[in-house]
Amino acid sequence: MSVLSHLPAGAQSTAERPRDSGGRRMSDESFINLLVASVAIVLFLAASAMVPNFFQFQNMVNLVTNNWAVISLGVGVTFLLVSGNFDLSVGGQVALSGVLAVWFAQSTAGANPLATGLGLPTWLAMACALAGAMAIGGLNALFVVRFRVPSIIVTLGTMMVARGIAKVITEGSQRNTNLPDDFGALGNLAMFGTSIKFPVVLMVVLVLVAVFIERKTVFGRLTYWIGANPVTSRLSGVDNARHLTCLYLFSSAIAGVVGILLASEFKSGFSARGTLMEFDALVIALLGGVAIAGGFGSVIGMFFGALILAVVTSAATGLVLSPDWQFILKAVAVFLAIMTQTWALARRNR
Amino acid sequence: MGFQVSDQRFPYVLSIEGLTKDYPGVRAVDDVSFSIERSTVHCLVGENGAGKSTLVKMLTGALEPTSGRMQILGADYAPASPSEARERGIATLFQELHVVNELTVQENLTLGMERSRFGFLVKSDLDERVVATLAAIEPSIDPAADVSSLSVAQKQIVEIARAASSGANVIIMDEPTAALSEREVDRLFDVIRRLRETDVTVIYISHKLDEIFKLGDAVTVLRDGKHIATKKLADVDGRSELIEMMIGRAVFHDYAPRANVSDETVLTAEGLSNDLLKDVSFHIGKGEIVGFYGLVGAGKTEIARALFGADPVSGTITFKGRVVDHSPKSAIASGIALVPEERRTQGLFTSLTIARNIPIMNMGKLSDRGVVRSADERATAIDYVGRLRVATESVDKYVEKLSGGNQQKVVFAKCLFADADLLLLDEPTRGVDVGAKTEIYDIIRTLADEGNSVAIFSSELEEVLGLCDRIFLLFDGSLEDEVANGPDVDIPHILNVVTGGAQGAVP
Repeated sequence: MSVLSHLPAGAQSTAERPRDSGGRRMSDESFINLLVASVAIVLFLAASAMVPNFFQFQNMVNLVTNNWAVISLGVGVTFLLVSGNFDLSVGGQVALSGVLAVWFAQSTAGANPLATGLGLPTWLAMACALAGAMAIGGLNALFVVRFRVPSIIVTLGTMMVARGIAKVITEGSQRNTNLPDDFGALGNLAMFGTSIKFPVVLMVVLVLVAVFIERKTVFGRLTYWIGANPVTSRLSGVDNARHLTCLYLFSSAIAGVVGILLASEFKSGFSARGTLMEFDALVIALLGGVAIAGGFGSVIGMFFGALILAVVTSAATGLVLSPDWQFILKAVAVFLAIMTQTWALARRNR
Repeated sequence: MGFQVSDQRFPYVLSIEGLTKDYPGVRAVDDVSFSIERSTVHCLVGENGAGKSTLVKMLTGALEPTSGRMQILGADYAPASPSEARERGIATLFQELHVVNELTVQENLTLGMERSRFGFLVKSDLDERVVATLAAIEPSIDPAADVSSLSVAQKQIVEIARAASSGANVIIMDEPTAALSEREVDRLFDVIRRLRETDVTVIYISHKLDEIFKLGDAVTVLRDGKHIATKKLADVDGRSELIEMMIGRAVFHDYAPRANVSDETVLTAEGLSNDLLKDVSFHIGKGEIVGFYGLVGAGKTEIARALFGADPVSGTITFKGRVVDHSPKSAIASGIALVPEERRTQGLFTSLTIARNIPIMNMGKLSDRGVVRSADERATAIDYVGRLRVATESVDKYVEKLSGGNQQKVVFAKCLFADADLLLLDEPTRGVDVGAKTEIYDIIRTLADEGNSVAIFSSELEEVLGLCDRIFLLFDGSLEDEVANGPDVDIPHILNVVTGGAQGAVP
């Protein structure tokens, strides 16, 4: 560019030029990721010392595979949190898309209303169910972006809308009869000749793609900019509205797929499925160092946050604590983890 | 003016002696001494940055002076907090209103002073007293009315009544007429005059010199943090003397007419109007530096934001022969970039690194099909940090850790990377140290010499006179006049226009 050609170019004024040597300081995000990963490992080792048979390869795999649904939801929730917005509707969307998929796929000649559906082919039923979940995402975007209602309120509302529709369709319980045989295929598909199922592989791919998007693409940069300061991003030419709409649709697409896969796995559309999943997705993101005010955090951190939660929960089960204690244990873990992060970050940047 | 105390009664309600406030690198208020007579309207004037608001913050306990002392009616006064200042009888009327819309006028007046017994409110003489105060200064307001039904001006009067009935003997008013219509201003002035009769002293801060002549008993002029004069207004020889005291005799400016200003027009604005702007029209030439000069609230920022598409405006803006769509995104795409007024809240991502701040306006240049070329992104940041001499050891430094001047250079780097043909600079050197200021001026001149156009929106006369080829003078949302810069530019005329002289009554 011609602008500034009169000013000394960086190459000529080596004295003032910032060095780009190997001693580059780790970013705060990498620091937090490392911290969260370390905490997950330390907790795993501590649990191994206390719980018999905890330290096994299969157990490590289970910690990840048992949580594929929440981790998948966490990806969308993390992107939205980084942009400074909440999505509390993902749990409701899981229920809605599952119920819709089943209802659309059930054959038309059922013995009772709950056994009677629209008789669509499985693939079409699932696609329509996904569209149903994304309609909720569109509703979120409409109210947050267009009418400027705080996202926590909007998604609290759509959370109930989504689950409410699911309840109406299932008459408050579930639909699980009169389904075509291929409906259960996707959710139970074992991959690579192992016991690892398709949804788990999909989650791993999703996390990897999300990390790429977050780190390497303009889309990822836009998410951080909007979260760090929406006024500045607008005045720098960013179309905040369009980007947030994409993020809500992205999040609801994930929730829709998760709901459909769960419905396929259990061959049922259950209106209470995914209850509290929106909070678990939020908790693992926060455990993973995502800032609730936006502009900071990463999918990798969220992933290790999920592992922390998984270790704590399964160790509690292994210690034969009554399930009633698990909530309190989770709460303690969340508080400690978040306080540690705040403290470590403040100390580092002192 | 010396500091005097008579034995029995104190003629001065407030005395200030040697008051000084230092900020790192800047002395905002420098050894200021003056006294304010009881039951008067005492005006405080000065250009932006003269030290008025710092002085007021010290009076109201929001800031602690570096040195010096204050006295109220002869007693030492060193407020540690705004609440202590209120207890000592100094109340402030802020530009934003602090009334509760859901309550009645009377409830607002007694807010925070209610008497209670066992948690239940009890009637006291307080209610009678506040009603009497309100009746004395503005009988037309019904104490039983809901505050939400009042106009802005009436709400302001309720606030004044609350201050007066809480026993304040000094009420500080900072630009109280900014949001008022002409008739409302007259009513406010009546209220202020009646307050004066009830032994309340008003410290009145305004840029509108007409108001000062209409209302004031005495005036104190500050300039560059120093006390210039305290005079009875009757002894002031018209606007011109006041203006002269505000700016000093010689305004330093080193403007040299620039050679390569072409006749080609790059931007034309016609009939820009919105809430504040009144039918503003102008054009900017290619390679030209134009200045928009006016006081706070004159409409500078509004014009900048309107040109950039950040706020709604009616009228047409033609840039390089085409009508511009109204959004920052399309403004940037067509070659207009804005350095906004508030760099921390509007210009920067302070929680991100320098490397992540600079490229935002032109990511297309650093990415292929949406994938960022990270090495180029970083190299760009390093390049611009070097050219603009941002003092930092690394582009990975978080922007919040930089000084004001270096932060502003990062905002400039952002806009320069946008490859803009027209740069809109809103208060480009506010809160920037002298060294960085000079460097920023050099950058601006270089840009214009390369054929880019620059519009500077500034409330610093020296800045406008030092840089701009043409200067547009603004007052109260309208473009009052346009002057060509040069060695013999008529500074008193400029100041007269921007303080309302072109519309005003007082000679």
